Amino acid sequence: MRLTFLLAVLVFVFNLFSEANAESAHFNYILHCQGCHLVNGGGTSGKIPALIGVGRFLSVEGGREFLVRVPGVSGSLVNDAELAEVLNWILYEFSPDNLPRDFEPYDAEEVGRYRKDPLVDVEHAKDRLLSLIET
Amino acid sequence: MQQRNWIDRGFEISARHFARRTSRRSFLSQLGTFLFGAASIPLLPMSRVGAQAADMGFKDPDIEGDAGDPQSCDYWRYCSIDGFMSACCGGTATSCPPGTEMSAVTWVGTCRNPADNRDYLISYNDCCGQSRCGQCFCNNNEDDRPTYVPAKSNNINWCLASSTTAYNSTVALVLGISEGN
Repeated sequence: MRLTFLLAVLVFVFNLFSEANAESAHFNYILHCQGCHLVNGGGTSGKIPALIGVGRFLSVEGGREFLVRVPGVSGSLVNDAELAEVLNWILYEFSPDNLPRDFEPYDAEEVGRYRKDPLVDVEHAKDRLLSLIET
Repeated sequence: MQQRNWIDRGFEISARHFARRTSRRSFLSQLGTFLFGAASIPLLPMSRVGAQAADMGFKDPDIEGDAGDPQSCDYWRYCSIDGFMSACCGGTATSCPPGTEMSAVTWVGTCRNPADNRDYLISYNDCCGQSRCGQCFCNNNEDDRPTYVPAKSNNINWCLASSTTAYNSTVALVLGISEGN
């Protein structure tokens, strides 16, 4: 009985914590991403990439790094922990159908590692990954 | 009296008759205004592009306080505006002047509302498609970054992703409230 109660309390606290995370991730999305990528992640064709469906990059080699190394992500004005949080939020929010089944959320350490090596030739890297996704 | 001709008399009679039969609140005049007004609203040139960007399900705060004049550069929502205030150009603080199109792409920052001392997320959407408004230039740069941090710079023409890049003026939309306060 006591154990059940303890578990319930733990679950409750965990839920509170993850909700707070989602809230701060959404806040950072509005403040740092939404201005260009829009409220629904739709972007502007030919000018600003859409975030809808970006989860498909995770299914190919190098895609997980790519999503962090692109200029908008690697150069954003948030710290590693916040970046991991908002990146995971974007993937769950705008790309739930494209996420690999074994998707593991980003964490601060991983994001910090990738963003130290920002992409210069973004278009080329993107085309290469897209061709891998299609095959 | 007798000197007046029949046209004058006729007009006098019809005018008095008309004045007796109608009032300023007459049903007919109200109905006419309503019909004409309702019919002309959809004819006004108006773009809904910004509506999507602005629709966050967040109700615009009606707490305004001292800094509540949208035509003043000190208006709290303009803490980081750089441009002509739409409210002086035929629009309002949250809507673009007729004939312009609200940019969907914007820059987002936060401003503190002195009335409730809370920070709100503000989106500065540019009104595009007509030449510079030229009225009420306002340049507040709270938390503004240089143009090499494009997503956080108000020196950029945010009409860049609209169908026409001509800049007219700027609005300040409230997107949400900042957490933790």
